Amino acid sequence: MSAIEVSGLQKTYRSAFRRTGHDALRGVDLTVPEGSAFGLIGPNGAGKTTFIKAILGIVHPTAGTVKVLGGSPEDPSIRARIGYLPERLHLPGAWTATAFLHTVAKLKGHRPDTAAHLRLLERVGLAHAAGRKIGGYSKGMRQRLGLAAALLGSPSLLVLDEPTDGIDPVGRVEVRTILQEEVRRGTTLFLNSHLLAETERVCDRVAILADGRVLREGRLEELARGGARWAVRFAPGADAGALAAAGFQAGSTEGLFHVEAADPAVLNAALDKARAAGALLVELRREGQDLEAVLTSTMGVAA
Amino acid sequence: MRPVLGIAGYVLREAASRKFILAFLIGITLVLFVLSLSLKLEVLDGALAATRLFGEEMYLGIRAVDVALRPLFMASAYVVFYGGILFGIVACSDFAPSLLSPGRIEHLLALPLQRWHILAGTFLGVMTLALCGSLYGSVGLWLIFGVKTGYWPIGPLVAALLACGSFAAVYAVMLTTATLVRSAALCAATGFLTFVAGIIAGYRSSIAPVFEEGLSRKLFLAVTAVIPRLSALATASADLAASQPLGVKSLELLLAGVVVFGLGVLAVGLWRFEGKDY
Amino acid sequence: MNRRRGMWLVLAVVLLGLGAGLMVTGQGDEPRPERPQVEFPRRMRRDDWKRAEQRRTQVVQPVDAGTQAAEPQRPRDPVLAALPRGAGRSAVVIEANALRHSPIGELLLDCLMRDGGKRLDEFRRVSGVDPLQDLDRLVITDKGLVLSGNFSNAKFKELFQERTASDYGPGAKVYEPGSVVVTTENGSQRRGRDDGVVGTWNDQLLVVGDNPESVKEVLDQVHGGGSNEPPVISEGSTYGEMYGVLSVEEIAKLIPKEQADLAQRLREVASTVELHMDARSDVAMVAEIRGADERKVTDLGKSLGAALSVARLKAQAEGNKDLAQMLDFAKVLPGGSEFKMELAVPLDAIKERLAFCRDERQAGEARQEKP
Repeated sequence: MSAIEVSGLQKTYRSAFRRTGHDALRGVDLTVPEGSAFGLIGPNGAGKTTFIKAILGIVHPTAGTVKVLGGSPEDPSIRARIGYLPERLHLPGAWTATAFLHTVAKLKGHRPDTAAHLRLLERVGLAHAAGRKIGGYSKGMRQRLGLAAALLGSPSLLVLDEPTDGIDPVGRVEVRTILQEEVRRGTTLFLNSHLLAETERVCDRVAILADGRVLREGRLEELARGGARWAVRFAPGADAGALAAAGFQAGSTEGLFHVEAADPAVLNAALDKARAAGALLVELRREGQDLEAVLTSTMGVAA
Repeated sequence: MRPVLGIAGYVLREAASRKFILAFLIGITLVLFVLSLSLKLEVLDGALAATRLFGEEMYLGIRAVDVALRPLFMASAYVVFYGGILFGIVACSDFAPSLLSPGRIEHLLALPLQRWHILAGTFLGVMTLALCGSLYGSVGLWLIFGVKTGYWPIGPLVAALLACGSFAAVYAVMLTTATLVRSAALCAATGFLTFVAGIIAGYRSSIAPVFEEGLSRKLFLAVTAVIPRLSALATASADLAASQPLGVKSLELLLAGVVVFGLGVLAVGLWRFEGKDY
Repeated sequence: MNRRRGMWLVLAVVLLGLGAGLMVTGQGDEPRPERPQVEFPRRMRRDDWKRAEQRRTQVVQPVDAGTQAAEPQRPRDPVLAALPRGAGRSAVVIEANALRHSPIGELLLDCLMRDGGKRLDEFRRVSGVDPLQDLDRLVITDKGLVLSGNFSNAKFKELFQERTASDYGPGAKVYEPGSVVVTTENGSQRRGRDDGVVGTWNDQLLVVGDNPESVKEVLDQVHGGGSNEPPVISEGSTYGEMYGVLSVEEIAKLIPKEQADLAQRLREVASTVELHMDARSDVAMVAEIRGADERKVTDLGKSLGAALSVARLKAQAEGNKDLAQMLDFAKVLPGGSEFKMELAVPLDAIKERLAFCRDERQAGEARQEKP
């Protein structure tokens, strides 16, 4: 079953005094499998936040269908199984973390359990600040509290908009660990983050949204696969001319060369030629694209 | 119903953490305290023999205490009524816009609540706050008068309840405004406009003759027919405080009409809120 | 979702309409009726001064031996001259003419004419005086009565035919006590005895007393003689439809037996009691009580105020609505060595009370008209 199923989703924001509106989403088709860690990436103004709000019922689609956890996001019983962390979560400064979790638990329809809340705060690294007023929290602490609130009630779907925003690198590792734990438990994760490195580490599926449309979507390995380019390192003293004749291009550092080989036979033939010329192979690595490269190349193609 | 109460509790918790509300409570307590110390009423066998305010004797004459204090009871009823509503407009104008702010409303809308729960809960929370505040002030006045004179006037309490009913109508307008434009200043402005319109509507029978007979008078009467009769309720509370006959045909129907107006405006806000994107 | 949304709008329209209906029904259409204000007689009004000025008709020449040049004398009101003089005296003036034309006067007239006006007609016939037209003021003193008005049509000769009459100064006559013969309607004659002494002055004043000395004393005063002390009521106190000075004893007698202590304190503390009553609409009374000891007077005022309050509570508890309503307006205003007590009865309450007089008068008149 799919956790999120969106078909032909359109959203146009109309102003009261203007005839034309702004098309934030122009027909998005997307399916997020249950139990997957899905990342949504794209440039500013792509419509990512609008998409997230549409799947949560916060904005009403102009056209298209949205199905979340097998039902409509308008249904409170569906939303009861979703944990959401908005991009700029407002936290009441005069409350304590436990009081905030207590209130959110009640609004989610759960019986507040102080011990469970404290365990949750410990999990997100806020146990030491549980009794302090939220007004005294740093940005990173606020994000962690927001994450804790999203995790209340063990949701089936976690929708996180910039979850590690403001969190230090060590903290990001902790958050990543929590998210990975949740995915291993079977929770579907839907993530929107500008930190592509984070998205790469957490997600197994990615969609690229730009100008209100999905440009590319699929498993991360498939998207990041660069094709037939290899990085090869030879020991110092290799004959550059012979290597060039074998098809190796010199790299940026000493001993580093690149070679294009569509299949293993071509690669091995090139390596044999290099070794025959007296070069000693030290390192062989397939050169894949990172997510940033995927994004930029996709955007470039789209343009 | 539970989600509505949950949101109401959320609003009350928010109010408790706001220093403004605390300042208000301290302010009322101080006023009551100063009044209780400075107002000296010499009562002899149920007759008000002498009245001293801040040490100065007030020339009220010696007469039965409930009769002598009628102007005071009437004045306190008006102060509780109008002062309460005005304060409520200023103090509560920020609740709805704050709740509907980005980062907060998205979080609330993603929770398993119906949209109308959020607005209704906000309304209920603010009304609970208004009721508690006005009862606090009016019970304080009641205690002061009762202890000093031996006469326990019901006026301030009745005025407080009528003021709450009236404030329900005013706040409904403010809340609906917030669903249209998220601005505390605009909410306060529409609340104040409703307050003024309510005063005019209460005197519509007396004001109507000012208009030329014909379309303009009919239009005035038609428009004011819908607006809550705040001044009529204020006068009724003063009449009750002074044990005088009421000038309205049925106070219960009038109050019910004002509250129903508030619910009608709230329904407009709910209609707007249901369709709004955040 | 649109259906649900539309439902809210429909509900809004229904509720706003219902609210308007409830408010229109609850408020009613009539503007708020004005509460009646009771005017208390507290000082001379412009009309009172005008009235007083118009009454200054008598110019009295001073008696002198011709040694000094005659100074022009200011004219004065002969009725004020006739009032008792000195401390301890009492007099109450009833402005009969003003009262006659006031709402309370109309009500009292109904009561007077309950029999259809038979007795009034009888009086007119016998005396030649129409009390409703000819009587201006009635003064009740501690020693008798003084009536002022237009008595030119009075049948003094016929009324006092068997009494000894003597001239007493210019324009004045005194009729000693004696028998009286009255011709009734059917022509028969009745004989009786009247022990009262009657004095007349011009056709303006009629003085009635128990003994000739008291009547002559009044006439002396009118002529310009009498005691040098000021009259008990000065011109500046002639406001209201009824006004006067009562002795403390007379007021004390009015206090109920249950408040005997209060009556006794009144006797000890108060020296004078000045009364004024306004009957132009509601009947409002102000009593000014003066005494020498400021502290005792203030305490007395407080006690009176408390007594009024208790009386009001008692009246309310016993369901005596009229008395309770009257005491609603009761107030005691302290002021040093005097205090004022204000009481009022709304006209509507009096109308209700005296409604039976109007009914009986109309019935009586109807009976008279029947052949």
